[in-house]
Amino acid sequence: MGGRELKLLESRRLLTLLLAGVFLWSLSTVDWRGPIIHTGGLAAFLDFLASLFPPELSPGFLGLALSASWQTLAYAVAGITLAVLIGFPLGVIASGSVSGSIRTGLGLAVAVRLILAAMRSIHELVWAVLFVAAFGLSSLTVILALALPYSGILGRIYGELFNQVPEGPLRALRASGASPFRVLLYGRLPMALPDMLGYTFYRLECAIRSAAIMSFVGIRGLGYEIQLSLHDLLFDQVWTLLLFMVGMVVLVDMWSSRVRRSLVS
Amino acid sequence: MSMNKSDSDHLLVATGISKSFGRVEALAPLNMTISQGERVALAGPSGSGKTTLLYLLAGIIQPDAGELLLAGQNLARQRPGKEKAGLVGLIHQQYDLVPHLPVLHNVLAGRLGQWSLFRSMISLVWPQDRQVAEEALAQMGIADKIHERTSHLSGGEQQRVAIARLMVQGSRVILADEPVSSLDPVRADDMLEILTALAGGSGRALVASIHSPRLMRKHFTRVIGLREGHLEFDIPAAEVTDRVFERLYDLDQSEAAVWGGGN
Amino acid sequence: MTFARASLYGFVVLALVSWGYILAATDGGAADLVSPKTWSNAGNFSRQLIGVDSPTRPAYLEVDRWLVTGRLALDTLAMSVLAIVLTGVAVLPTFLSGARNVSNGDLGGAPSRLGTLFYHGVRLAFTLTRAVPELVWAMVIVFFLSPGILPGAVALAVHNYGVVGRLSAEVVENLDPGPAKALRSAGASNLQMLIYSIFPQALPHFLTYLLYRWEVIIRTTVVVGFVSAGGLGREFRLSLSYFHYTDLALLIMWYLILVIAVDLLSAWLRRLVTGKG
Repeated sequence: MGGRELKLLESRRLLTLLLAGVFLWSLSTVDWRGPIIHTGGLAAFLDFLASLFPPELSPGFLGLALSASWQTLAYAVAGITLAVLIGFPLGVIASGSVSGSIRTGLGLAVAVRLILAAMRSIHELVWAVLFVAAFGLSSLTVILALALPYSGILGRIYGELFNQVPEGPLRALRASGASPFRVLLYGRLPMALPDMLGYTFYRLECAIRSAAIMSFVGIRGLGYEIQLSLHDLLFDQVWTLLLFMVGMVVLVDMWSSRVRRSLVS
Repeated sequence: MSMNKSDSDHLLVATGISKSFGRVEALAPLNMTISQGERVALAGPSGSGKTTLLYLLAGIIQPDAGELLLAGQNLARQRPGKEKAGLVGLIHQQYDLVPHLPVLHNVLAGRLGQWSLFRSMISLVWPQDRQVAEEALAQMGIADKIHERTSHLSGGEQQRVAIARLMVQGSRVILADEPVSSLDPVRADDMLEILTALAGGSGRALVASIHSPRLMRKHFTRVIGLREGHLEFDIPAAEVTDRVFERLYDLDQSEAAVWGGGN
Repeated sequence: MTFARASLYGFVVLALVSWGYILAATDGGAADLVSPKTWSNAGNFSRQLIGVDSPTRPAYLEVDRWLVTGRLALDTLAMSVLAIVLTGVAVLPTFLSGARNVSNGDLGGAPSRLGTLFYHGVRLAFTLTRAVPELVWAMVIVFFLSPGILPGAVALAVHNYGVVGRLSAEVVENLDPGPAKALRSAGASNLQMLIYSIFPQALPHFLTYLLYRWEVIIRTTVVVGFVSAGGLGREFRLSLSYFHYTDLALLIMWYLILVIAVDLLSAWLRRLVTGKG
């Protein structure tokens, strides 16, 4: 026992050294010979900080920021709803509890888990860039791109939640002759629902950030306005928009944590 | 410091100490004196105030009223640190070791009161006073566990680590909250012998909460019975008969219903 | 349960309004999506990605193209490592003061005005950095820092500072206070308690979060690289605008290789950290 423990300690020490080496290597890839900071970068940075006092507060611009916030929220909500619609059935299959035959159920589950992993492995904006190149720019293509990785995440979590419910009630349902699908519908789903809801609300907050950066492919919203203001070097406007972004995220965060708290109690 | 004989004999003097949590009176005003060399068992059903009394004696919580003198010094006015740690040390019921640290550092934590902040930081990389910890662990019979993660140890081993920490701390009054509650009779005897040895020697004392009259008679000099925060009896251990004991634990029906869920 | 139920209904209404707005007020593109022209374009795009009609050999069959882009993939990996280390270095000294039970003296010690001030300052920093996505931070940071690996890594680190910082502070708030209080009775001072009890208890959680975030960060490096001009992201954008689609396919392959490698590595390291297996 003690010997193994020592070995583990030593291997950890070795690993620490290895990781330190990796970090040094990553530093070496940065080009330190050239200027790290732009010519005039420091001045721009100070200018940027100074522009916070005060940010742009004219009623016209606040109106613009508000409507941009709404656009971003709408895309985020649309993306999440689509992700729930795609992720839910995939999560059901991934939990391996749809088919009476264990072998087909398990085979399907493994296949779907791979699909979910593939959806997750590509960032939503990379999906968006590819989709726009393939289908052209439209709201629906972008929402689909947004929904894909989120479906991957939600599907995986839903599947895990279905499998984490207590066995007792399920056994009782099975004993009464319910098919696996009925067991899912009357047993797993109701028991897993609170956690599913809590997690989905948590993901809504992330979706707001994802929706904002869809400006990169030309979708309007907070990110779009930030890009425009940055382009014109209007840092006070950038701050206003950033604060709207923060405000929206904080509000959704408060909402979702209240939902989770009320689900726990 | 000039002290007369009786003062130095009395290691611990409590006058009218009491404690309430909200509207619940955990401990009614209590007087007691513990002299050096004494081994005091605290008896009573759970909720009787044993843990509260131990925490008060350890200075973890402060009494609402009354005065507590430890070796002639007022405990309430002492900041945690070297002096207090040298006066009194407590083994918690859950041992409360840091699970992620190796055993060595959990034992050396008994030195924190004496170490400067700098030295205690250095010690995490180059253990200081290592020999002291090694000796303490050797006495506890777990010298080979010194580098293991504390969370990997069994409950009994963790208890020994907690005692080793107390050895390193060198407190004069050893307090132990239910030290044998999860041990079989043979191990319980072993444990109490360890604690007796630890609290032996001049100027030391032991206070422990215990439930078995056999162990009280065998290992302790004195027994204090508590019930619902009140002192029921304070007698020499030899006088603890099973009858006295049954009366202390005898519950009427309504109380039994309350205790039933808790134990 | 009632608040959750009301929230669920509220969300359904919000979803309907959002979809209504998007389909009505913006160019929804539903008609486009069902038109045969769109689908033939998409078909063309995927054929070009694979390079079936291309006169030259597809890039992903050329060894030297793999080597050239491999260099960029390494840069991208370096960006992610740099980002995660910067995040860790920034979070480590601050997350304890971002925990309520440390600042208000619940874990022993007296509440101090300085502690409260630190608590609110750190919490505010967590919220501000977390709320703004990495790409937006990158857009801002390229105004100050020379393009390359560093601005991307900094942008990733700024956002993840808030994410990891908040999670770590919450871990501290939910810690078992027993060991810290036991140290207090062994004579430890406030700072000694933090160093010997709170910090070692929180450290595995902190490292686990950091490794989880590494998985997110590697996926985001490409996105940040679009504007910070470092690693695969820059080349990705260029290939797309020059219609070098088989190059694009090669870059996506590297991207996937990185993501899978980091996922596996992170899972292995997490097991080491928690000491299981």
